[in-house]
Amino acid sequence: MPFLSHGSYRIRYELDGPAGAPAYVLVNGLTQYSELWGAYCDALITRGFRVATFDLLGQGVSDKPALFINQDDHIAVLHRLIGELGDGQIFLSGISFGGLIALRYAIEHGERLSGLVPMSCFAELTPQLLLIGNALRTGLILGGTGYLQDLLLPMNLSDQWLQPLLEKLDSVKRQGWLVNDVYALQNLMESFLDFKPLTPQLSSIAVPTMILNGEFDFLTPRALHETLRVEIPDSALVIIPRAYHAFTLEKAALTADLLARFAEDVMAGRWQGNKQVLIAPENPGGAFTPFPEGYDHLRAIPVSRTAT
Amino acid sequence: MSAFLGPLEADGRVPPRQQTRVAAFLVSAHGALARQFGLALPAKFDAAWQTELNAQFYRESEIVSLLMRATAWAPDLGLGPMAASWEMAWLPAPIEGIADHARAQAIHLATLAHAVHAGIRPAALLPTEAGANDPFVFALRRIEFESSRLLQAQILFLKGPDLVPFRDAVSAALERRHGEVRRLWREVLASIHVVVRE
Repeated sequence: MPFLSHGSYRIRYELDGPAGAPAYVLVNGLTQYSELWGAYCDALITRGFRVATFDLLGQGVSDKPALFINQDDHIAVLHRLIGELGDGQIFLSGISFGGLIALRYAIEHGERLSGLVPMSCFAELTPQLLLIGNALRTGLILGGTGYLQDLLLPMNLSDQWLQPLLEKLDSVKRQGWLVNDVYALQNLMESFLDFKPLTPQLSSIAVPTMILNGEFDFLTPRALHETLRVEIPDSALVIIPRAYHAFTLEKAALTADLLARFAEDVMAGRWQGNKQVLIAPENPGGAFTPFPEGYDHLRAIPVSRTAT
Repeated sequence: MSAFLGPLEADGRVPPRQQTRVAAFLVSAHGALARQFGLALPAKFDAAWQTELNAQFYRESEIVSLLMRATAWAPDLGLGPMAASWEMAWLPAPIEGIADHARAQAIHLATLAHAVHAGIRPAALLPTEAGANDPFVFALRRIEFESSRLLQAQILFLKGPDLVPFRDAVSAALERRHGEVRRLWREVLASIHVVVRE
């Protein structure tokens, strides 16, 4: 198991796939760990990519600073990891908290990227997201990692995914519970206490950007992704049908296919963001559908878009 | 070596020798915290935060009491030297960059308590098949759960405004404490053929 050094801390990472191939770097969300990208590694390597995964500082097998984690540390770690990949093309994607780190990386080191895929992501803490985040932190403090998982699972995954697992939820939660420590998760959550919105800087992201948002994501709803679409010049917003916040777990085959197609389009010069709003196919390989002309993609009912 | 206690006995119990080593370490650590919180406890409170000292003192004592009763103790001649090294480790050590004695004492106690409450996860040692009704198994789960609650007092103090000017010194002292406590915990577990997950 290889490790990177960040000051006195060790960061666990994995590189898979052919050296010299265009690379995807995947950034975990809160409570996640690198193994959760296993299906992505397999699918992306089959499509000719190299894949880099790692455990964020404070999560998984990486070291867990005892008292403070600064979000700048994640950017520095990511920069070091990307440095390990040589001079080839780099596509960066992250989910939720990891999407935020990916956004910040693109703002600070965009020249190193060929493409960016923020998923279930946000650039600012709206009152709802702030209060949900506070409540999740309180849940962690009072009930431990297991209770935080109890809150996140039904919030972020569909009935279809949960139904067959209802009788064995403890085993679903166990690895995440084992590799995550309360104090370290709390440090990660408290790194938002001095969070500054990224919105004013989003327009500086010059790389092609595909924004992925689950149709039913109510932790980071459409409006948060809309900020990214409006501000990032070469972006498109892609809505994943019937998906919740954690669609990377639930729809791995579809999401991996979307990642591969995005990178292939960028490398072939076919990508045109145009701030489009698209609906992803239900299955890998299917066609994208433009969001119906004239309707407001920020609404959950078909309402005509008002002129702005 | 395994990441979990065991092999379990037929009735799902952790073997008594493993129970003894794990419980002895936890009794030593939480007992030291109980003593040190007890010494820090004034006879009469004049500040609201001192009520937390009272809670910490009694909950640490409760953990010791729980382990004394829930553990299937086994004779263990190797425990003596190990326990002596643990007790030495809980003693206050100078904190670089903190000259004020009272402040250094408070930071010592908070860093030790943080390291024990955050760094020691006894329930994570239990295999999935551990007997849910076994008192030792239940005790380990309760101690880990209670530790994450107790930890909040240390987090509030160590991250609090009073220590902002000493942030680097406090962080360094805390990381050092974590390192020491984890090393001792690793050694205990290695002695019963368990490798701690880090």
